[in-house]
Amino acid sequence: MAIKNYDELNSLELDTLREIGSVGTGNAATALSQMLGRTVRITLPEVRIMGYNEAIEWIGGPEEITAGVLVKLSGQISGIMLSVQPLEFVNVVLGSMMGKTVGDYAQLTEMEHSALVEVGNIMISTFINALSGLAGMDVNLTVPAFTVDMQGAILAVPMAEYGGQSDYIMTIGGNFVSENKEVPCRLLMSPDLRSLNALLRRLGVSDG
Amino acid sequence: MADKITIGIADMKMAKGEGMLVTYALGSCIGICLHDPALRLGALVHIMLPLNMETGRKNPMKYADTGIRETLKQMEAKGASRSRITAKIAGGAMMFKDSSGSMGNIGQRNIDSVKLNLKKEGIRLLKEDVGGTVARTLLFDVNTGLACIRSYGRKELII
Repeated sequence: MAIKNYDELNSLELDTLREIGSVGTGNAATALSQMLGRTVRITLPEVRIMGYNEAIEWIGGPEEITAGVLVKLSGQISGIMLSVQPLEFVNVVLGSMMGKTVGDYAQLTEMEHSALVEVGNIMISTFINALSGLAGMDVNLTVPAFTVDMQGAILAVPMAEYGGQSDYIMTIGGNFVSENKEVPCRLLMSPDLRSLNALLRRLGVSDG
Repeated sequence: MADKITIGIADMKMAKGEGMLVTYALGSCIGICLHDPALRLGALVHIMLPLNMETGRKNPMKYADTGIRETLKQMEAKGASRSRITAKIAGGAMMFKDSSGSMGNIGQRNIDSVKLNLKKEGIRLLKEDVGGTVARTLLFDVNTGLACIRSYGRKELII
């Protein structure tokens, strides 16, 4: 049965999505590891279906400033992917790639902005490549967009995009661990409902 | 300072006499402050999308059209007079500038819809801080009718 809302997913479907998330974030972690020249693993990937305000609390409150890289998906899967990069993650990236750290996002140079966009973009592309290979579906990606602002407003972008379909947001993703230290950096995928149904059908867990 | 009352996304709250209504991190969403100065009655709605086309319309406060209409109804039920109610709005930003234009611009559509619906309901728009690319936290003092807007990398603004 095709679902009409995110909260209708059954446990088999959720497990399947978690598995996809695991493969996707696993590949993204490998890519990140190669870029930074240090070991990066992932925490247990999560599939979350949350109300809007619940999602804002989950990410760590509305006003916290963070960097975000956003890529829009189209083709056989439509959706939005976000790489949310808190300052701690930014400093791990800059430390490994450029040998420096910053105390505030305002100190970032043009060059460092580009590095963060590229890191986000490569993680997102790797995640989507893995998913698209697994499901045998073609997915197109837009050029990455970048912002530094309140994380509540960044998370509201996928919410608003699918707000006409649902009162919930669904995210598939995980956190990264580098050298035994958890680095807060979430890689989140929010598919639209039509694509979610198509994806589950392709993977053989939905007969709709 | 008066007690803070927090308004979430797709939510509305009212206060009378004293009270600070707050909504955080408006991106493309819009916060609409409605105020009846005679009663010192204020309402803050946090809408997310321009038009309600949902069947069943379970959540009117998610949308500009039904959010404004429903809030005015609830204010009037508390004795507010439509001829006195004024509005101030903030939000409607574009969080990600995108060269390909594939993201659309929900923020601008929200701004247009909020203005159109205020006009339709005969509500005067006194002040606004909309558009651009910054997120805004909006604090609305129902006693004075003043609104304060906080953004990252920008000075606090009182409207």
